[in-house]
Amino acid sequence: MTQPLTVLQSEETLTVPTPAVAVEDLWFAYREGSWILRGVDLQIPMGGFWAIMGPSGAGKTTLMRILAGLLPFPRGRVLLLGHPVRGELEPALRRSVGYIPQQLGLVRGLTALENVLLGSLARHRGWQTALGFFPRAEIERAMALLEVLDLADRADEKVFRLSGGERQRVAIARTLMQDPQLILADEFVSDLDLPRAAHVLAFVYRLARERGLTVILNLHELQLVQEFAEHVVILKDGRVVFESPALDLTWPLFREIMGDYEREALK
Amino acid sequence: MSAKRVAVRGTWQTLERRRWRELGFSLGLMALLAWLLNGMGFFEAGRLIQGAFNLARFAHEMFPPDVRILPTITGALLETIQMAFAGTILGFLLSFPLGVLGSRTLFPAGVVAVVRFLVAAIRTVPSLLWAVLMVIVVGLGPLAGTLALAFYTVGYLAKLYAELFEAIDPEILEAMRGVGAKRRHLIRFVLWPESANAILSQLLFMLEYNVRASTVLGLVGAGGIGFYMQAYLGTMAYSRLTTVLLAVLLLVIGMDALSAWVRRRYLLHP
Ligand SMILES: Nc1ncnc2c1ncn2[C@@H]1O[C@H](COP(=O)(O)OP(=O)(O)O)[C@@H](O)[C@H]1O
Ligand SMILES: [Mg+2]
Repeated sequence: MTQPLTVLQSEETLTVPTPAVAVEDLWFAYREGSWILRGVDLQIPMGGFWAIMGPSGAGKTTLMRILAGLLPFPRGRVLLLGHPVRGELEPALRRSVGYIPQQLGLVRGLTALENVLLGSLARHRGWQTALGFFPRAEIERAMALLEVLDLADRADEKVFRLSGGERQRVAIARTLMQDPQLILADEFVSDLDLPRAAHVLAFVYRLARERGLTVILNLHELQLVQEFAEHVVILKDGRVVFESPALDLTWPLFREIMGDYEREALK
Repeated sequence: MSAKRVAVRGTWQTLERRRWRELGFSLGLMALLAWLLNGMGFFEAGRLIQGAFNLARFAHEMFPPDVRILPTITGALLETIQMAFAGTILGFLLSFPLGVLGSRTLFPAGVVAVVRFLVAAIRTVPSLLWAVLMVIVVGLGPLAGTLALAFYTVGYLAKLYAELFEAIDPEILEAMRGVGAKRRHLIRFVLWPESANAILSQLLFMLEYNVRASTVLGLVGAGGIGFYMQAYLGTMAYSRLTTVLLAVLLLVIGMDALSAWVRRRYLLHP
C-alpha cells in the first residue's frame, strides 16, 4: 500500500469553485411533521477532511444521504462542488461524489473486481456494461486500484468470502473508480476494531492528501477524530450544536456535549 | 405478598391461559375436520368397509406388475422428462422479467399492480386446466403439456422473484444509485447476483414439481406418460398401471436426487 497513486487521471473534471459542500438552512423529514434535520448550516472547504459526530438518531446518516444527492429535501439549499442539488444529480456531478453507505453496499455475489468496476458505471451507462462487458482500460484501472489497496490477489474472489477489512478496501476502490472529488462515508470504520480503523483511516487520509479529495466521515470514536480529522461537527437532534478544529474538541468538552444523551441511553 | 411474587403469579397465569387457548384451538380444528368428513360420508361404516374391500381387490389385481410394456412406455417417459425441463425453463425465462416488472423497488406502483394481477390470474388456473386450454390452443401432444407447465411455472416463480427482488438490501441499491447506475445495471449487477442462490433453489423446486405434474398431463392428451396411465386405468389393466406408476416413482426419485446434488454442488454461499 505504499505506491503513489498515479493510476487515476480523470479525462474531464468539473471546474470547481470553493467550498466543496455548502449547506444552508437544510430541513428534512421522512414523515410529515417530524423533522429529522432542523436547519443545518455547514460549509466544508475543498480538500477538507471532516468528521461528523453525534448520538445515534441525530440525523447523521440522513445528512450524508442528502449530501450524496440521494435524498430530496423540502427546505434549504445544498451546493455540491458549487452546483446546486435539485433531485437527481447530473452524471458529471454524480461521478464526482463518492458515497459509501454504512454497510458498504457491496454486491456479495460479485467478485471484488466486478464490484470495483461498478464504480465506472457513471462513465459507461450503455448496454455493453449492462451485459457485463467493460472497456479494457477500465478493467486495467480497476486492477491497478486493487493493487494499490493490496487486494490484487483477491480480485476474483466473491465479496461474501472476503474479510471485513478487505470489504472495506473494496468499497474504497469502488469509490475511487468513480474518480470523485468528494467522498462521503457513513460510519465508515465502526465495524472495525480500533487499530484496523486507524489503519484504514490513515490510508484514506494519505490518499485524500495526494489527490486533493474532500472527505466527510461519520465517526464515533473521539480518538480517531482527534488523530485524523481536521475539523469536527457535532449533530444533535438535527442541528449542528458544535463545530471546531478537531483538536479543540477535548474529552471533557465531548462528554459535556454528548453526556446527557449517554445517560439517557443507559436508562 | 411481595411485588415479585405477584409478578411470578401473573406470568404463570398468562402461560396457563395460553396453553388453554392452544388446546381449545386444536379441539376446534378437530371438530371442523370431523364435520367436513361427516358431510362426505366418511363415518358411514358400510361405505368404509366396502372401501377397504375394494382397495384390497384393486391391490390384488395390481400385482405382479406387467413389465412387458416397458419398451412401450419408455418413449412416453422420456417425453415427460422433456416436457418438464422445457416447461420449467420456458416458465423461468418468462418469470424473471415479470418478477423484475413486479417489484416495487424498480418499477412504479401502476406497472407493479398490473403485473401482479396478471401473475395472480395465471396462478389461479391449476396445471391440469392449463393443459386442457393448451390442447385446445395448440392441439394434442407434448407441446400443449410443455406450455401448460410453463404457464403454471410463471404463476409461481414470477411472484417469488418479485418478492425476492423487493427484499434486496436497500443500501446496495442506494450505493448503485450513488455510482450513477441505471435500472438495467441494477438488474444485471444486483438483482441477478444477489438472488442467484434463491433463484436456482426455487427453479429446482419447480422442476421437481413439474416432473410430478407432467406425469398426469397425458390424462387430457397433453403428452407424456399420463396417456398410458389413462389407457391402462380405462381398460382396467391394473398390472400394467403398476409398471407405469413404478416407473414414475423411479423418475421422481431420480429427479429429486439430481436436484439435491445440484443444490449441494452449487448452493454454497450464504
Ligand atoms: N428511511 C427512514 N424512514 C423513516 N425514518 C427514518 C428513516 N431513516 C432514518 N429515520 C429516522 O430518522 C432519524 C435519524 O436517523 P439517522 O439519520 O439514521 O441518524 P444517525 O445516522 O445519526 O443515527 C432516526 O430517528 C431514524 O429513526
Ligand atoms: Mg447512522
